[in-house]
Amino acid sequence: MYKAVVIGGSAGSFQVITRILNSLPKNFPLPVLLSLHRLKHVRSGFVEALSIKSAIEVVEPSDKDTIKPGKAYLAPSNYHMYIELNKKIALSTEEPVNHSRPSIDLTFETAAQAYRDKIVGIILSGANRDGAYGLQKLKQLGGLAIVQDPNECQVKTMTEASLKMTQVDHIFTTQQIINFLQSLK
Amino acid sequence: MILSDQEVQFFVTTIKNASQYDFSEYSEKSLKRRLQKILLDTNLDLLGLINKIKTSKDFLEQTVKDITVNTTELFRDPQIWQTLKYRILPKFSENKNINIWHAGCSTGQEVYSMMILLNELDLLDKAKIFASDINTDALDAAKKGVYKYRFNIGYLDNFDKVIKENPFNYDEYNDVPYSKYFKIDKVSDSILMNDFLKKKPIFRQHDLVKGENLYFAKFDLILCRNVIIYFKYSLQNKVFKLFHDHLYTNGYLVLGMHETMLGEIASRFDKKGQAYRKK
Repeated sequence: MYKAVVIGGSAGSFQVITRILNSLPKNFPLPVLLSLHRLKHVRSGFVEALSIKSAIEVVEPSDKDTIKPGKAYLAPSNYHMYIELNKKIALSTEEPVNHSRPSIDLTFETAAQAYRDKIVGIILSGANRDGAYGLQKLKQLGGLAIVQDPNECQVKTMTEASLKMTQVDHIFTTQQIINFLQSLK
Repeated sequence: MILSDQEVQFFVTTIKNASQYDFSEYSEKSLKRRLQKILLDTNLDLLGLINKIKTSKDFLEQTVKDITVNTTELFRDPQIWQTLKYRILPKFSENKNINIWHAGCSTGQEVYSMMILLNELDLLDKAKIFASDINTDALDAAKKGVYKYRFNIGYLDNFDKVIKENPFNYDEYNDVPYSKYFKIDKVSDSILMNDFLKKKPIFRQHDLVKGENLYFAKFDLILCRNVIIYFKYSLQNKVFKLFHDHLYTNGYLVLGMHETMLGEIASRFDKKGQAYRKK
């Protein structure tokens, strides 16, 4: 029933994202779109670190790559990652948005426009407000909005900003997020 | 403000009819986003914008500049510059001339990166540097060679990685002073390129959509990085064809970190990383 999962995270989200990816089965039926902030000078090695224990393939996509199920697409460092309506990746080096490139808002908003009510959006731990606007858009277009339980977050700012803007569907711990994703068919 | 695809199309058609610029083969997402930003900044609705474009040539030019503005860095993606330093540029060391075209050079940081690298390899004197962009404001900035310092502090790390360090030999360290190539003025928060670099390139306005080679030259190396991500597949292929036609055999095309050549044209190149060698 859902066609894609989009996840945004910043400070404190790396371990969460690693746990989530490691828990997904090899035949996970959806693509996972990841827009994660990273330190400006830690530009390489991230995709390798995420791949170590992940059963699904984790890639930093090229521009115009076609999105396929059972694969995780990590927004490349220093690029915005958009989702086109024809379910292809579009990259951009436009100015950072709210000091962020990739911008979680932009990935969420364009993914929501591409997948409408067939997408699950998840905001994780982070130290700024990026993602709040994108999650709101996703919810408005009929997607399912999930926020990591702020009590569990290393840094709450991002999840709290999202909760302030959007009446979300679920506030989940990491384990609940994993259980939910594993239940998707 | 959310624009519909039809509204973006209306904008593209208006520009096309009123000028020599054609955005019909630009990627939708980025184009739409930039258009929305222009509407926000100018406080106009789409019809207001269209009217102003039709009545004022200056406003049209400004709008085109706002659409085509691009960001770049000094030695962006050091690993690509290391590839150029150790694998590609040495192949041209016996050449009498080395022709290099920076297609879509924006504000010029990569043009200066290339000249610095060439100078370190003792190849700058025989290099001819051509640099083009559609955006004349960006070209003016490129000619000036002045960049913000604090905002771009990462430039220095990139410089160290490419110029001072050797990724294949950690014992090697070339302590090249920054002042050899640029002045850092912390008072005015600026990085200022040295004159001998600034006067070297031949900067020209050029629209890749037009599919012509304005330099009437052939090239050993073409850099076109993070430009074609704004183009649709059809236009990408047209541009690749243009590059192919104007590269020497065994010349190289270098693309951005996450740009790929697809389709038939790809078979006419040997690909290694982001470097495509013309067969």
